[in-house]
Amino acid sequence: MILVLQLAVAGLATGSVYALIAIGVVLIYKCSGVVNFAQGAYAMVGAYVSYVLLSAGLPPILGVIFSMAVLAALGTLTERLVLRPMLKAQLVAVMMVTLGLLIVSRAACLIIWGPDQIAFPKVFPEGSISAAGIFITYNYIAAGILALVLSLGFLAFYQFTPIGLQQRCAADNTRAALAIGIHVSNQVSLAWAMSAALAGLAGTLLATLNGLSLDLAGIGMIAFPVIVVGGLSSLVGALIAGLLLGVLQSFTDGLLTPALEDFLRAHTSIYSVGALQQVVPYALLVAMLLLRPQGLFGRRGTERV
Amino acid sequence: MSTRHIAIAIGVAVVMAVLAVVLGRYGAYLVNAVAIAAIGALSLNLLIGYCGQISFAQGALLGVGAYTAGNLGNAGLDGAVAILGAGVLGALVSALIGLPAMRLRGLYFAIATLAAQAILEYLFKILDPLTNGVSGLVIKPPSIFGIPMTSDESLVLPSLVLLVIAWLVVSRLLRTDLGRAFLVVRESEIVAKGMGIDVGHTKLWAFLIGGFIAGMAGALIGFANRLASPEAFTLDLSADYIAMIIIGGLGTWPGPIIGAAFVVLLPEVIQRVGEAAGISDILSALRELAFGLLIILFLIFEPRGLTALLSRIKLRRIGVVPPAGLRATGEGSQSPEGRSR
Repeated sequence: MILVLQLAVAGLATGSVYALIAIGVVLIYKCSGVVNFAQGAYAMVGAYVSYVLLSAGLPPILGVIFSMAVLAALGTLTERLVLRPMLKAQLVAVMMVTLGLLIVSRAACLIIWGPDQIAFPKVFPEGSISAAGIFITYNYIAAGILALVLSLGFLAFYQFTPIGLQQRCAADNTRAALAIGIHVSNQVSLAWAMSAALAGLAGTLLATLNGLSLDLAGIGMIAFPVIVVGGLSSLVGALIAGLLLGVLQSFTDGLLTPALEDFLRAHTSIYSVGALQQVVPYALLVAMLLLRPQGLFGRRGTERV
Repeated sequence: MSTRHIAIAIGVAVVMAVLAVVLGRYGAYLVNAVAIAAIGALSLNLLIGYCGQISFAQGALLGVGAYTAGNLGNAGLDGAVAILGAGVLGALVSALIGLPAMRLRGLYFAIATLAAQAILEYLFKILDPLTNGVSGLVIKPPSIFGIPMTSDESLVLPSLVLLVIAWLVVSRLLRTDLGRAFLVVRESEIVAKGMGIDVGHTKLWAFLIGGFIAGMAGALIGFANRLASPEAFTLDLSADYIAMIIIGGLGTWPGPIIGAAFVVLLPEVIQRVGEAAGISDILSALRELAFGLLIILFLIFEPRGLTALLSRIKLRRIGVVPPAGLRATGEGSQSPEGRSR
C-alpha cells in the first residue's frame, strides 16, 4: 500500500511536468492547427538556457524567468519565420517542418554543449521528507507542485483574462475573431510564445530531477499520448491526462514490470521486458483513438475534413 | 506506365550501375544506399503521396523487413526467398499499422502511426529470440540465387533490379482502378464514398502494397549492413524517409528517387567538405544541423519538391513562363493547396 502511494506521488510529479508540455502542444494546435513535434526541443533548449543562466550565478527564480523569456522569443521566432510561410502547405509538410526544427535544435545543442550529461545546478534544497511511510525528495515535490501550479495558473489565465479570451476567440473562429477586431496573427504568435515558455520551464524542471542531456528532446513525444488521451483540443484534458499518464508510467515501472518479468522468466525464455513504461502510453493512445477518438475531454467533430 | 517511363527507369538503373562500377568500392556503397532508400521512398510515396495516409512508422517497417530477412537468411534460406519473406511480413505488419486508418483520418491517423513506431521499436528490443535485443541481430552474408553477396558491389545488382521493378509496378498500379481510387481517397474520402469506392478496402491495399515494398527494402538494408539493431530503425529513420519524398516531390513519379539520392548523398557531401575544412570533431553534429536546416528551408521555399523545381527550370529554359499555380508533372501531382487547417 505504501509502495502504491509512493509510486502515485512520484507519478504525479512527473505527470505534472508532462502536462506542462502537453498544454503547450494543445495551445499551438488550437490556435494554428499545427501539431508541434518541436515541443521537446523547446524543453531541451529551455533547460540548457536555464543551466547557462544559473551557472552564471543568477538566483534560481530570476534565471528561470529569463530562460522562459528567451524561450518565448524563440517560440515567436519559430512561428514567424518557419510556420507562417507554410500556412497553406499540406499537413505532412507542416509536421515534417516541426520535425526538422527538432533535428536542428538537437544538433545545435550538441555542438554547443556536447553529448555528455551535465549536472544541473541545485535549484531546490537537498533532502527529503517521509510522511505516512512515503519517502520523497524535495526535488520531486518542488518540481511537481511548481508544474501543477503553473499549469493551473495558465488554465486560469486562459479562461479568465482578456488576453485569454482573445486567445480562445482566435482559436475558435478565425474570421469571427478578425471581424471583432482581434489581431489573429499576433494571437497565434502569442500562443507559440507561451507554449515555448511553458515547455522551457518543463525542461528546466526535468533537468533538476534527472540531469541535463540531449535526451530531454525526446520528452516532447510523450505529449502525443497525453493530448490524444485528453482530447486534442482540450487544455484541461491535457492537464488531467498528463497526470494520469505520469501515474500510469510510475505504476508500470514499479508494479507491472516486476510482476510481468517474474511471470515471463518462469514460463518463457524472455528475461526482461525492457522499458515497458515507455510504450504503455502509446498502447493507451492506440486504444483511445480506436474507442474514443475525441479523447476524454475533446469535442466530437474537432477533426477537420 | 508508358514506354517512356520504362526507358527512364532502366536508364537510371544503368547509369547507377555504371557509376557503381566506375567509382569502385565507395561508389558501389553509395549507389546501393541510394537504390535501397529509393525503394523505401517509393513505398512511402505510394502511401503518403498517392493515398494521403501519413505514416511515421516507415522506419520500424523497414526494421521488420531487416529482421525477417536476417532470420530467414541466417536459417540458410536463399536471399531471394528471404527478401520475399520480408516483403510478406512487411505487408502484414503494414496492414496492422493501417488498421486504425479504417476509423481515423489525417492527423489522428498520423499520431496512431507514431504509436506503432514506438511499439515496434520496443518489440525489437525485447523479442530476444528473434531480434537479439539491444545488441542487434548479426546477419550472415546471403547468397541470392546461389550467388554469394559478400560486398556492396555484389548487392548493387539485386538492389537496382528491385528498384526498377518497384518503380514500374507502382507507376503501372496508378493506371489501374485501384490506383485511381488511391488518388480519390487522398483528395476526399467523402467524394470517394460518393463514387462508390470502398475507402477502407482501398486504404488496406495501399498499406499491403506499400508494406510489401518496404519489407523488401528493409531486407536489403539488413543485408547491406549485416546487422539489424533497434537504434537503426527509429523515428529518425522515418523522418529521413518523409524528408525524401517531400524533398523529391510528394506524389510525383520521379520524386522518391530524386529525394532518396538527395537525402543519402547530402550527408556524404557535408562529410567530405567538413573533412577538407578540418572540422571533423563536430562533424556529425554539423551534418545533422545542415540536414535539418535544409529540410526546413526546402519546405518553406519549395514545398512541392525538387521535381517541381526541375520542371520549372526546364520550362524557363525553353522560354515558357510557368503559370503561377504550376503543378508538378507526373500522374496525380499535388493535392489542392487549400488544405483546411
